[in-house]
Amino acid sequence: MIVRVRPLALLAILAAALLGGCAATSVKPWDRDLLAQKRMSFDPRPMESAIDEHIYFSKEGSTGGATAGGGGCGCN
Amino acid sequence: MQLSPTRPATALRLRLRAAAAALLAAGAVNAARAETPAARWQFDATGLGYVERSRTVVIEPVARITRLFESGQSLWLQTTLDAMTGASPTGAQPSGRVQTVTSASGTVSTSTANQVPTAPFHDFRGALDLGGVQPLGGIASIAASGHYSREKDYTSRGGTGQFSLDLDRHLITVTVGGSLYRDTVTPVGGIRVPLSDGTSFLPEGALPRRTSEGSAGISRVLSRRWMVSLNGSRTHEEGYLTEPYKIVSLIEGDGTPSPDSLLTEGRPGTRNRNALMASSVYHLTDDVLYASYRYYWDDWGVRSHTLDLKYHEELPLHDYLVPHLRLYTQTRADFFVFGLPQGGAVPRYATSDLRLGPLHSVTLGLTYGFTLPDHPGEFTIRGEYIHQWGDGHPASAIGVQQQLDLFPGEDVYTVTGGYTLRF
Amino acid sequence: MSERAGEDPIRIERTGDLFAARFTAMASPCEVLLDTDVRAEAFALAGRARREALRIERKFSRYRTDSVVGRIHAARGRPVSVDDETAALLDLAALCHQLSQGRFDITSGVLRRAWVFDGGEHVPSPERIAEALVHVGWDKASWRRPVFTLPEGMEIDFGGLGKEYAVDGAAALLAAASRRAFLVNFGGDLFASGPRRDGEPWAVGVDDPEATGERVLYRVDLARGGLATSGDARRFVRWQGRRLGHLLDPRTGWPVEDAPRSVSVLAPTCLEAGMLSTLACLHGPGAAAFLEAQGAEYRIA
Repeated sequence: MIVRVRPLALLAILAAALLGGCAATSVKPWDRDLLAQKRMSFDPRPMESAIDEHIYFSKEGSTGGATAGGGGCGCN
Repeated sequence: MQLSPTRPATALRLRLRAAAAALLAAGAVNAARAETPAARWQFDATGLGYVERSRTVVIEPVARITRLFESGQSLWLQTTLDAMTGASPTGAQPSGRVQTVTSASGTVSTSTANQVPTAPFHDFRGALDLGGVQPLGGIASIAASGHYSREKDYTSRGGTGQFSLDLDRHLITVTVGGSLYRDTVTPVGGIRVPLSDGTSFLPEGALPRRTSEGSAGISRVLSRRWMVSLNGSRTHEEGYLTEPYKIVSLIEGDGTPSPDSLLTEGRPGTRNRNALMASSVYHLTDDVLYASYRYYWDDWGVRSHTLDLKYHEELPLHDYLVPHLRLYTQTRADFFVFGLPQGGAVPRYATSDLRLGPLHSVTLGLTYGFTLPDHPGEFTIRGEYIHQWGDGHPASAIGVQQQLDLFPGEDVYTVTGGYTLRF
Repeated sequence: MSERAGEDPIRIERTGDLFAARFTAMASPCEVLLDTDVRAEAFALAGRARREALRIERKFSRYRTDSVVGRIHAARGRPVSVDDETAALLDLAALCHQLSQGRFDITSGVLRRAWVFDGGEHVPSPERIAEALVHVGWDKASWRRPVFTLPEGMEIDFGGLGKEYAVDGAAALLAAASRRAFLVNFGGDLFASGPRRDGEPWAVGVDDPEATGERVLYRVDLARGGLATSGDARRFVRWQGRRLGHLLDPRTGWPVEDAPRSVSVLAPTCLEAGMLSTLACLHGPGAAAFLEAQGAEYRIA
């Protein structure tokens, strides 16, 4: 079930696409109305997310992905 | 083009001028009233109530105060308290009989037959975090933070740093970050020698655990409604990574755990973890859809997939509802076992800690965000249900083990409250 | 990324012997140029201008549920009592509606949903237009100061007036706070308070609407006054060989025929300049004639 892909190769392709690709649809300054809203954020409730990271860190075997970590505890 | 003062204004223009002047006059009153200084402080508080069915209860309040500056700089201080009580699995396998386990803290616990044995614990943790953000030139910023926390048998100290740069008129942001932690594990009663019978102890009463992490990410605004990001992180841990109180059962020929002997667990001295995460935020007419997927793998053999979905539904009067679904699955660590055969060879590493086992979990949650009339603060209240389960009937089950569920499900209920105030 | 996508804090830097403050408000890049040597003064004045822009944006934004517009829409046909500032804005909207014989209409935003201006060939059916027009028409709303009643299903949008008002509002605050010359520029609508210390006017470039930010159509040396630009260049639809711009006539539901690509008007205030340029565009091919009749200073591209 787990796909064997070379993760670093995939990462390099996606990163290049994000940095360079799709330049055609550039967002004009007058189109930033929705983007300015508080809910247009990858993490609108950061303190709630930090608590979730703590919960899943102590119940599961994985960490990381979002931001550089914050704080250790004796729970994993 | 020059304004020529000599031409007399037409009637249309005079009427426009009068209406515009009236508007400016009316607005001036409000503008003056609004000239109170911009918010200089922000207070955030969160409180978690966490209950595992039949096991652990945790209460965790967190409070943060931030000082905001005109230039975009900020400084913050955060305190966290963690009160934990309950029982956690020892790693011993369930059997057809009652089992008695002596925990490292000297307490004796008895488990009923067919249940995964647990040992009670009771702990209190406090943490202090301090940090700041400094914008640079309007297109970049750096952030740094320091952390210190302490509980009965664990101390953590460390810091994080992050640099981000906006490109293409703030449509692309590149972020790099890192963190370093140096923790000390001080188990109650001393550190038992790993993969031994638990009667001998290491000469050191405390051992270090060092963690260093590097991360990088790119986020991009793709359209008026849609932004995506890609993040990667790599973590290196080294030191004492074993759980000091957990054991591995020695299984007799008929599948029952040996009542007289046990093996303390032992894990490798290093661990390299990797994670790749892709996120998307998409704005519909009023609502917003959040989706993220993370792939994780490490050199202990654990691989996992996490899918997280949230839907922000905007309600009248600035309130909102966010239903949440999280799906998680992980493979077991290479050295995870449901017990070892009595009398067999002792492997280099072994653990029966269910958190390193083959497990799945589903989370269902709902957040309600609201404000109260005449109060500037913002509130959130959230309820979540986590169901975690694993394959409790592995092919390697011996004898009696085949009739038992070695990995029963766990249910967790959480309630989280949040409050933010700017003043 | 800053906490919220697209938002940046105020940036102030010295260019030549001016201080230039830049920020984002009303979904537009905003700039305030201050003719001063004193950094602290520049910071204080720029902050005031930005706060006024944000105050007006938040108060009249159609995207916010806590704005005046949000309240009016949430009232769903029930009467809403508005404050003096909103009343004055509604008066101005009513006046423009009258002066344009109905072409200027703050309730015409609903029409936007029927049209997709993506350069393609798709044009809405007469039924679709009729359906949208049911909810369009200033005369269907009731404005009796201070009570405004907007029938359910209709929407108002102050977008055509908001930016120019914010420019003049910010300019008023700066003029009251300091004797320095300044230029306030919110997304191309601007106001200059007077010549700079060295006696020179402000040099303003008006963008080619087909290449915003890349090509300048012409330059204006502006010592004092407001300059506003309206136009029909950016989005369009093709139909029967013709190019239809995105400026809609609420009386027919169809785009205004032959509206100018870009009209810039100079007037004593940005509001007056903005209303003249908007009214001119709504006259379609008669834009130039309208502006001549009003004795306005203008450029048409």
